[in-house]
Amino acid sequence: MKPVITLLGSLLRQTVRNRQGLFWTLFFPVVLMIVFSLLGNTQNRVNLAIVAPTPTSSAVVRIVEHSPFFHIRTMRRQAALNAVRSGRLDAALLVPAAPQSRTTTLVLRYNPANSLSAQQAVGAVQALVAQADLALSGRPPRFRVQATPLVHARASTYLDFLLPGVLALMTMQNSLFGIGSGLTRWKEKGILRRFRVTPLRPLQFLGAAILNYLLVGLASSAIIIGFATSLLHASVDVPLGPVALVLLLGMGCFLAFGFIVAGVSRSQEATIPIINLISFPMMFLSGVFFPVSSLPKILTHIVDYFPLTYVSGALRGLMSGQLTWHDAAFRGDLLGMAVWLAVAGVVAARVWRWE
Amino acid sequence: MGMSGKSLRLEGLTKRYGAVTAVDRLDLTILPGIIFGLLGPNGAGKTTTLEMIEGLRRPDEGRIWLGDIDLIRRPAEAKRRFGVQLQTSAFFELLTVKETLELFHSLYSHPLNVGDLIRRMDLEEKRNARVGGLSGGQRQRLALAVALVNDPDVVFLDEPSAGLDPQARRNLWEVVLGLKAEGRTVVLTTHYMDEAEVLADRLAIMDHGRVLDEGAPRELIARHLPAAVIEVDRSTGIAGDADLPALVRIEEREEVTALVTRSLEDTLTGLVAWANEHGRQLTGLKTRSATLEDVFLELTGRSLRE
Repeated sequence: MKPVITLLGSLLRQTVRNRQGLFWTLFFPVVLMIVFSLLGNTQNRVNLAIVAPTPTSSAVVRIVEHSPFFHIRTMRRQAALNAVRSGRLDAALLVPAAPQSRTTTLVLRYNPANSLSAQQAVGAVQALVAQADLALSGRPPRFRVQATPLVHARASTYLDFLLPGVLALMTMQNSLFGIGSGLTRWKEKGILRRFRVTPLRPLQFLGAAILNYLLVGLASSAIIIGFATSLLHASVDVPLGPVALVLLLGMGCFLAFGFIVAGVSRSQEATIPIINLISFPMMFLSGVFFPVSSLPKILTHIVDYFPLTYVSGALRGLMSGQLTWHDAAFRGDLLGMAVWLAVAGVVAARVWRWE
Repeated sequence: MGMSGKSLRLEGLTKRYGAVTAVDRLDLTILPGIIFGLLGPNGAGKTTTLEMIEGLRRPDEGRIWLGDIDLIRRPAEAKRRFGVQLQTSAFFELLTVKETLELFHSLYSHPLNVGDLIRRMDLEEKRNARVGGLSGGQRQRLALAVALVNDPDVVFLDEPSAGLDPQARRNLWEVVLGLKAEGRTVVLTTHYMDEAEVLADRLAIMDHGRVLDEGAPRELIARHLPAAVIEVDRSTGIAGDADLPALVRIEEREEVTALVTRSLEDTLTGLVAWANEHGRQLTGLKTRSATLEDVFLELTGRSLRE
């Protein structure tokens, strides 16, 4: 045990002193989150143009203007329609110049390509118009919805969604590159051979290397969570035990993949395309940047079984407060990771070469 | 400290890579307390032989004994008792010299003191320097220090002076002779003739995975080249022309034609007569005793650097 601890200490020292490596480990997730938290702030409101040619229609405008759910601008008809068509605005509300005979028709032109904001726009405008209608008719409403903001409530921002995805992504990248690329480099340079002529057993060496990456992975996850919550004001739950368990299992999976990469690669350069081949599809499909459910149905049948999908799903569930230890879905994710770990572990043991 | 008095014996050692036999039924006995050199060109099988002894490669056939210990059955014994300097010794670049030695120190049960090793290898100034910033010679000394950390009975040095400047080579030779003085056995591979001649008590000349001959350097020279070498400039045009008495072989080496002879006097007399007869000048004429380089050429038909 003593040699393993000394070696682990040496590896940790080596990792911490590798300033460039540390920088890139933390830099990418940090930049990603800063960029998306800046973009994410305007995302909640519906961008609506109001085309109101005469002051007579201003009653409608006034009601809509005071809604916290809209970002309103008044525009001319053609400019508004162009803006909607090109996706710069979500919808344009066309108010007729004068009230019509019995019912005045307000035309809402929306861009169907962006279905989510279109839906939001149509729904919200309908609600507002109904409200305006009632107000103008002078009849007392039969039902009333009282919308009261909760104290200490938080807006679920895109950053809250992104943070668990970024953690999952880091788990994958660091493990794949750490073992896949790092270990291949040691192999290439002859560092592994040097240890093989000592009494240190091969599994002791690998054990120390694995522990090194697990500890570094946990620490960098903690730094990223700390950064996102304290400086970018992400609001997420962090149930320590379950989150750490998911991170460890996830890293275990990808470390095993890393060993496979290191096993089949002769040189460090050769590892890069293999790692990209493994990581790229998962980076974009496995629920890092957008939910798996937004993919075409046929694709989700495959993507649901990707290892990174389990990691990002479990982390997002835990951090959004939707999953706990006791949920079957959470246990399913853990099981998925465990199966991947076992399968990749067996393959890794078969293809691993010391030379 | 060494003085284990165990000799290292290789019996019928064989290693094949596909159709290529890298080491072919090698038999060798290395007595304790000597410096043993394995001499041969690249691809002769020296490194593969060392790697089998060190436990890095499993031989296809044959046995390796240290005294009565079967090292193939008990590789842990080899790892405990051997000190190894590999041909490319890489260590973690971001650790310091001291940290590197402490790391290897922790892997053995009866290691030598790290501070003593640092002093002995003249690395005191670099004690807290990162390995990545060391010069070639300093790295080599660190590799040697690491090879000695377990107080080994047998020290293996694979091409220890490769890439070193002349001063660093001299220093290395002193260290190697010091190891022998402490009673350790040293096994080294080299393709530097002078290194083999200065250091080795016994030599095995290897090519194509086999030992062509083995003995003390003087013995090898005496056995294969009883006398001497006469050198003249190539421009004399002696090669392919002369039928000189006692001549063993003529070799063209860059600018020089070398006449390897059994009898310096007879060949020289003949050479002078040939020059007079043909009206040639014997420019650059030199005589010298045969060296290992000549033995090597005699045995393998090719130069060591090829």
